[in-house]
Amino acid sequence: MTSSSTDTLIDVTMPQMGVSVAEGTVVAWRVGVGDAIEAEQTICDISTDKIDTEVPAPVSGVVAEILVDVDQTVDVGTVMARISSSGGAAPSENGSAAPTEAAPADTATPEPEASVPASSGVTAPTRAASRSGGPGRRYSPVVSRIAAEHGIDLSTVEGTGRDGRVRKQDVLAVVNGNGHAGGAVADPPLHIESPYRPDPPEVGGTGSAQVAKAPAGSSDAGGVVTGGGGLSRIRRTIGERMKQSLDTAATCTTWIEVDMSRVEAARAKLGVTALAFVARATIDALREHPALNAWLNGEDYTRPQDVNLGIAVSLGEDGLIVPVIHKAQELSVEGLAARIRDIARRARARELTADDVLGGTFTITNPGQYGSIMATPIINLPQVGILDLEAVVKRAVVVTDSDGNDSIAIRPMTILGLSWDHRALDGALSAQFLATVKRRLETLPS
Amino acid sequence: MAPLTYLQAISAALRDELRADERVLMMGEDIGVFGGAFKVTDGFAAEFGSDRVMDTPLAESAIIGCAIGAAVVGMRPVCEMQFADFISCGFDQLVNVAGKMHYRQDLAVPITVRLPSGGGFSGGPFHSQNPEALFMHSPGIKVVAPSTAEDAKGLLHAAIRDPNPVCFMEHKHLYRRVKGEVPDEIYETPFTARVARPGTDLAVIAYGAMVEVALQATADLDGASVEVLDLRSLVPLDEEAILDSVKRCSKVVVVDEANMTCAAGAQVAALIAEKGFEDLDGPVVRVATPDVPIPFSPPLEQAVLPGVDRVKEACRDLLEY
Repeated sequence: MTSSSTDTLIDVTMPQMGVSVAEGTVVAWRVGVGDAIEAEQTICDISTDKIDTEVPAPVSGVVAEILVDVDQTVDVGTVMARISSSGGAAPSENGSAAPTEAAPADTATPEPEASVPASSGVTAPTRAASRSGGPGRRYSPVVSRIAAEHGIDLSTVEGTGRDGRVRKQDVLAVVNGNGHAGGAVADPPLHIESPYRPDPPEVGGTGSAQVAKAPAGSSDAGGVVTGGGGLSRIRRTIGERMKQSLDTAATCTTWIEVDMSRVEAARAKLGVTALAFVARATIDALREHPALNAWLNGEDYTRPQDVNLGIAVSLGEDGLIVPVIHKAQELSVEGLAARIRDIARRARARELTADDVLGGTFTITNPGQYGSIMATPIINLPQVGILDLEAVVKRAVVVTDSDGNDSIAIRPMTILGLSWDHRALDGALSAQFLATVKRRLETLPS
Repeated sequence: MAPLTYLQAISAALRDELRADERVLMMGEDIGVFGGAFKVTDGFAAEFGSDRVMDTPLAESAIIGCAIGAAVVGMRPVCEMQFADFISCGFDQLVNVAGKMHYRQDLAVPITVRLPSGGGFSGGPFHSQNPEALFMHSPGIKVVAPSTAEDAKGLLHAAIRDPNPVCFMEHKHLYRRVKGEVPDEIYETPFTARVARPGTDLAVIAYGAMVEVALQATADLDGASVEVLDLRSLVPLDEEAILDSVKRCSKVVVVDEANMTCAAGAQVAALIAEKGFEDLDGPVVRVATPDVPIPFSPPLEQAVLPGVDRVKEACRDLLEY
């Protein structure tokens, strides 16, 4: 219909929102078939398991086809729509009836190198590559065979080939224990749901059943993400990640009581939250005990130079996200407070980029504002520790003065909980770490 | 052992066979007094006489036909096509008579047809072709294609001593460019493939002049471990060696200097698709000359022949896949 022989159909594909993002869901189409669209104009809204964003049109033209329905989840690289860049060809009146005619069956991308005729002597594998990156994630024979022999679920294997294709070496790395099986191991963006907020109501068993059968990377989840019965995409992802963490890490939780008198005094002076002080003390403690500022992927244990501090931010009904303050060790308490405010605001405004949620080395969760006092947070893999800051409440405590005289005093107290991975460290170290945080908080200069 | 060029190695094999076996004789255009268009048989007529090193009319059909008759009565003729391209004139004798004689009449036809083949020197469309696939498609004929001086001598010895018609594809571009240690004695190189360089990430399968191109193209490919398999023999095709390479590397680039369609590499690719499927981690990629006559113009010729850059690009692309 809209395409003359000189038209070029340009694919609009599900964009790569970050190195670890495998799929995205179309939230809304801003245009319909036959609509004229300018380059860079938003064509649709998409949601990934990390962030929501808009997809701009790659070229000006006329929308020739829309191939992905709202709420449908597709792999990165999947063609979502095609724009006919005819430079002015108007759509016919019966545009809605004809889109299938508009595009020739040839799904080759319009890149010039893909159009090299076979007779030129080189059969470029680019076409095959783009096919395999499309819906239904295909695997090469050798990858399929190795996975079958070793019982590997390929949907959990991170691909390093073109368009995230799983190559032989990727699956062999998993066989040899060096690879990243499981999206959450490679990819730690989402953190725990706060244990202090009511869990979303169980949906008659359907919800959990759907979670169970929809592994990360499944492109077949179109039917799951529905308004009424199913879990939201983010809830589904949180559920998978949390379950995976508990199934993978040897999680232990250690608590310590901290007298927050100095913090309360200092924060009143600076006008910042207690969280910023706890964050600063945590960073210092991580520098003293670098074993906790680490990633554990299988047997691969690394200690990054920087402290990239994740801060769990509640999105209310929509779940929870953990934006990361990179190189947090370079920031003062005031700097940290400003950054925490900034990422929390952007998280709630859905303005985070993929980079904002990647690379965390340690996480702090702070649901204490509701008055709860203790929790057992779930580790944000592949990190090895997570610190839980609870409510600061006034208590009668025994204090000892410099002469060794005990007395009872009213002090603002809190309980810091550290969940740590017993695979990476032992209880003594976690206790030392907590003691360091406590010492730093209790000895703040007044 | 002596360092010989590819051409000298061929001459040495012929001379050794003429000396060792009085049934061996040579026929060809200008191979006697003139010593051959490429001087492969320089001095042969003086040493062995014009009865054994025969100048013939410009009639390839007659050369091969005579050779068949001589072979049937017990001789071991070696025919030289001045250029491989000219074999088309002898096609019927070779394909229909020599290739089917054993099947029809139980008569062995131990002839060797030397085919100076390949381009790269502005020989134009009549002097640059690689017609080996035509004979791969014709039952009853063996086809070998050496890439080194040592194999040139060993394969020629084996071809002359083989009881079947053998097409010996000698690449003109290698004649004086390739040099290597060649044993002095008579030795027969088996009609099997040779791993020119072992590797694990990607295999380049080639033969003839393309082996050197493959080696150069993959000498330093961002640290990738690239295997180069030199087929050496196209009929019989060393399936075991090919499938071993596929198993090791799981990614394959097949290089032909011949025109792409139905070239030797097409058979290799088909074999891999059928018997190596379970080991593949990417499409079988082919690099070959497009289906056009070889141009005379030097830049155009370089553009159509598979060169180091094109092979390198194909390998990079497949490695990233």
